[in-house]
Formats: sequence, C-alpha cells, structure tokens
Amino acid sequence: MIPRTRNPEPVLITCTALLFAAAVYAVFFHAPAERVMGLVQKIFYFHLSCALVAFLSFTTACISGVAYLVSRDLKWDVLGAAAVEIGLVFTTLVLATGMLWGRPVWNAWWTWDPRLTTSLILWFIFAAYFILRAAVEKRQQRAAYCAVMAIAGFVDVPIVFLSARLWRSIHPVVIRADGVNMAPPMLTALLVSLAAFAALWGVLLRRRVRILAMAEQIRILEHRLDREPAQARRARY
Amino acid sequence: MAADDYLEVSGLCKEYEGCRALRDLSFRLARGDFLTLFGPNGAGKSTLLRIIATLTAPDSGRVRVDGADLEDGSEEFRKRLGFISHHALLYDQMSALENLVFSASLYGVADPGARAEELLAQVDLQLHRHRLAGTFSRGMRQRLSIARALVNDPDLLLLDEPFTGLDRQAALLLGELLLVLKERRRTIIMVTHDLDRGLAMASRVGILAGGRLAFLEPRHRIDAAAFAGLYLATINGETS
Amino acid sequence: MRSAWLVIRKDLRAELRRPQAMIAMLFFGFLLLVILDVAVPAGTEITPETGAGILWVAITFSSVLGLGRSFDREKENHCLEGLLLSPLSPEGLFGAKMAVNCIFMGLAELAILPLFFILYGDAFLRSLPALALVLLLANSGFAATGTLFAAITAGADRNEALLPMLFFPLVMPLIAMAVRATGMIFAGAPLPEYSSWLQVMAAFTLIFTGLGFLVSRHIFRD
Repeated sequence: MIPRTRNPEPVLITCTALLFAAAVYAVFFHAPAERVMGLVQKIFYFHLSCALVAFLSFTTACISGVAYLVSRDLKWDVLGAAAVEIGLVFTTLVLATGMLWGRPVWNAWWTWDPRLTTSLILWFIFAAYFILRAAVEKRQQRAAYCAVMAIAGFVDVPIVFLSARLWRSIHPVVIRADGVNMAPPMLTALLVSLAAFAALWGVLLRRRVRILAMAEQIRILEHRLDREPAQARRARY
Repeated sequence: MAADDYLEVSGLCKEYEGCRALRDLSFRLARGDFLTLFGPNGAGKSTLLRIIATLTAPDSGRVRVDGADLEDGSEEFRKRLGFISHHALLYDQMSALENLVFSASLYGVADPGARAEELLAQVDLQLHRHRLAGTFSRGMRQRLSIARALVNDPDLLLLDEPFTGLDRQAALLLGELLLVLKERRRTIIMVTHDLDRGLAMASRVGILAGGRLAFLEPRHRIDAAAFAGLYLATINGETS
Repeated sequence: MRSAWLVIRKDLRAELRRPQAMIAMLFFGFLLLVILDVAVPAGTEITPETGAGILWVAITFSSVLGLGRSFDREKENHCLEGLLLSPLSPEGLFGAKMAVNCIFMGLAELAILPLFFILYGDAFLRSLPALALVLLLANSGFAATGTLFAAITAGADRNEALLPMLFFPLVMPLIAMAVRATGMIFAGAPLPEYSSWLQVMAAFTLIFTGLGFLVSRHIFRD
C-alpha cells in the first residue's frame, strides 16, 4: 500500500527549508521596516501566509468531502481529515499572530473586524469537525458525516464574511487590515513567505495523509486479528 | 437474464472495517421463489438483505428487481418491498391502528383504514386497536410488527432471523402468513439459523459463508439430514 | 410530497399527545429570559440592540433543544429504519423534519415573545409585523441547518451536546444578522435600512436547505 520506491519527501522538505530561509531573509533584511508600525509589521507576512495555508486546507477539505460523497472512496476522507487538521492549526496561528499584531497597532487584542470574525468562526466550525469525528465509530458513516460538515463549513464562510462586513458597513471601519502600503521589496518578501508556507502545507499534508492512512491500515489489521479465531493463530506460530 | 428472473444479484461486494462482508456475490431468483439462507454469524447475510432493501449501498455490484436497477427508482421498488427484522419499527406513542394506518398511507395503499383493520384481524389484535403500541406485551408487539411489515402486501419479502425471539403464538402466525404469501407467488428471502423451519418452507436453499454463496440448490434436491451435516460442517469450517 | 406530509402530521400528532419538544423549548426559553433579566443590572434601560440580543439568545438556545429531539421519536424501535424502508425518499424525510422543526420553533416563539415583552417593556410591541418576517427567515434557516445536523447527531454514537457544538458555529452568521435586524426594527427603522440583512438571511436559508436536500441521501443510508 505504501510505496517503497523513490521517496520524494527529502527533496520536498529541503526545498521547503530553503524557501523558509529565503522568506526569513526577505522579511527581515530585504523588506524595509514599515514607517508607522515599525518592526511589529513583520508579523504580517507570516500572518497572511498562515491564512493562505488555512484557506488551502479548508478548500481541500471541502473538495475531498464532495469527492467522498460522490465516490464513497475512503481515501478522500483521509485527505479531508488531514487537511482540516492542518487548517485548524494554521487558523489558530492566524488568530494568534493577528492578536499579537493587533495589540500594539490597534491597541486591542481583538476587534470584530470581518476577517477576524470569519477566522474565528472558521476555527469553531473545524474544531467541531473533530468533535464529530470522535463521536462516530462506523468508518463509512463517520466519513459521510465529516464530508457534510466540511462542505457546510466551507459554504458558511462566505456568508460569515458577508454578514461581518455588512455589520461593519453600518458602523464604518476605522482600521482596515489591508491598508498596508506595499513597497516592492515588501511585496517580494510577502510572495516568498507565501511560497514557503504553501510548500510547508504540501509537505505537512503529504505526511498527515500517509500517517492517517497507516493508522487506518493498522486498525483494519487489528480488526482482522480480533476476528481470526485463536486456534488459527496458534497454528500459524 | 432469463425471462422469469425476478431478482438478480450480481457481483455484490461490501467491505466493513477491512472485513469483506460480501465478496462478488451473485444469484438469481424467479418470481415466487422462497430462498432460505443459512450461514455462520458474520457471513454477510444481514448485509445482503440490507443492500437489497436499499438501506446500505454496496461497494460494487448491483441488484436488479423485475428488470430495473435498484439505483434508479428505488422509491418505486420500496413500495413493493417488505422487511421483517428483530426491530419492531413501531411508534410507542401511537395506537395499534394508527401505526398501521400510518404505514399503509406511507405505502400509498388505496384505503389505509380498511387495510389496517384487515391486518389487525389477521394478527388477532382487533380488540386492542386503540391501545398505544408502547403498552403492548412482547408477543402482541411482535404480531403488530408483523402486520406492519405486510401492510403493502409486498411482492418481495426479506426476513432477517424472523423467528428469533418470537413467542409461540407469533411464530405460528408468522409461519402461516409466510405459507399464504408463498402460495400467492411472492418472492421471499429468509435468513435464519432455524434448520427445520427454514427447510420446511423453502423452494431454494443456500448457505452463505465468508461473503460468498457456498451452496445454492432447489429444495427438492436436498436431503434434510445430509444438509444438516453440511451446514454444521460449514459453521465449524468457519470457526476452526 | 404526500408521504412527507404524512410524516409531518404524524410528528405533530405525537407532539400533541406528549409535548416533549415543546415543553423543553418553552421552559428553557422562559428560563433564559428570566436569567438574562437578572443578569442585566436593575434599573438599566434596555436599548433596542440589547433587547434584540436578549431575545435571540433565548430563541436560539431554546430552539436547539427542539431540534435535538426531531429524530428522537424515530430512534425508538428503529423507526427511522422503517421510514427508510418505505417509499418515502430521504429528501422527503429531510423536508418533513425541517417543516416540523419550523412549526415547533414558530409555536415556541409565540409563547416566548409575550414573556419577552412583559419582562423587557412593551415599547417593542409595535414592531411585531416586521419582527415576524425576521423570525420566519431565521426559523427556516435554523430548521434547515438544525435538521441536517440533528440527523447527523442522531446517527452518532456519542451524541451528548454534540448538536449545539456543530450547530452553533454554523448558524453564527444567521444569529448575528437576526440580532442586527431585530435591533433596528426595535429602534423603529424602516424596512429599506435592514433589507440587506434579510436578503443575506434568505440566502443562508436557501443554501442550507439546498445542501440538506443534496446530502440527505448520504446521511440516512450507509
């Protein structure tokens, strides 16, 4: 099941590490310090990159949810679960870096800005995904339920964003997250760190899918062992 | 497909938790056949019935009834399907009559009230028609449950260990009703452990083991004693 | 369609006979209104926005109790299996349960609203017609999402408190919009000012109703 031939993983990991080194260099040495916010602004590059990874994860989860319901192939469920795991971690990072940035810049850990609100609700939805996963025993049933949860969560996101923005359009927003003036070196730094995080996402997803698939196989083997009568086992050894 | 084939099961596979409940299972039944399926626990008997009843989707393979694939138009098919298992499928908060009228209406029976009364008479519960099903004794519930399953006068009847746990009266009643249905050329598949009852009523007899049909013969070619031996051998073969 | 109507009628009759869902919803809704009244410091004036918030907290939390019960009746004696064996389609079953939930929530609100006006001032009373529209939209949105996830939690093995955890994050935007629109209605704003809220609420309802119908086949059968 698990291919033994030429594992591309070391290459992928090396590339990701190099990209990260480049990103750190670009962010801290290539891009100039922002005039008003100063050094704090550096967190923005990683913040946005985390958001990208979260977005990639949840899109993947939704697509694999649809694919599972159509094909009933459990490999899609494994992909979906891996994607949501990674997405949840990176949504947490988005929220954390956002707060670290917001405290000095907006003078508040938290504001009900559309983007923040959307990320927070997204976090709740996909945390609920794991609560649901843990609550269902039957393999296929769990996969179908989780697929529905991932799809529902994904289609909920635009509505959350829209409603959060409507909320704000009545009380005008004072601070906008995208009000950053982008100097060309800053843009370079941003793009490099986006690429680094996207590569990291690829590596993590690959790993998690493999680990989850192996866990699945172990569980199946355990099941078979349980069912196999003791006599036959004794005869074998 | 022969002209008189009513049910055609071909290449059915289903996997649960890595155990293959059904492996490439195929067989055919003509209209009016009464197939009794024996087999050790976990042989895939219930899975097969659930797939035919459209409760579970197979991983691969298909079921055709009366020339139509179950995938499309399974709602139409279920109108003619009956299923008896150990679950009562009754609403405790509704009276015996209401339970039957509700089911009859769901199946689109022409006059649900009359059909319900007719069934209540058949299972000898007319006197209790207005009692809530939840207050019934076990035997009465079983009879009501049998009536419920036959509310649409099914063309295809699936029975999953129907005699297990039945009290004497209910078992007698079910036996009689099955004989009547058999005479009226209904197609019946019964899964059971009960050798005597299973062989007595069947027109064909099968043994399901390890997700495959290990044996399928017309009843008249089988000697009961020899079959009992074969059946025991299959069960023992599975467990050693 | 006809068989879905039969299921609706059966559920309503069962509820009439033993109003488990209604009692739970009403009792909890009343309790919340009283608790929130206690939580607001005595003597503070309730602004339209606060009033709207209080009303919707009471409604959402009481409705989740009703939603959670929508498949309870089908679980005794495996009646759900009986419905799936019948000619009723999974979509029909979803639609029927959604309609039942809508009706129950509407009925519960009929009782929760008067208590709200008693406790928090009848100045809000004049906004009743517009409020009815918001309630209708919110109820159908809640019912769509709630029925979908009640069906899922009914199939789960460990389902204590599972429904609220799945349901609340998803309906958060709906709650936010309902609170907002209600606040403006209480403040006496004309329809055009909050119509965009109502539109998004309607979109939410449509999307989740559609999703429910699309996936019901996959949820009810394994």
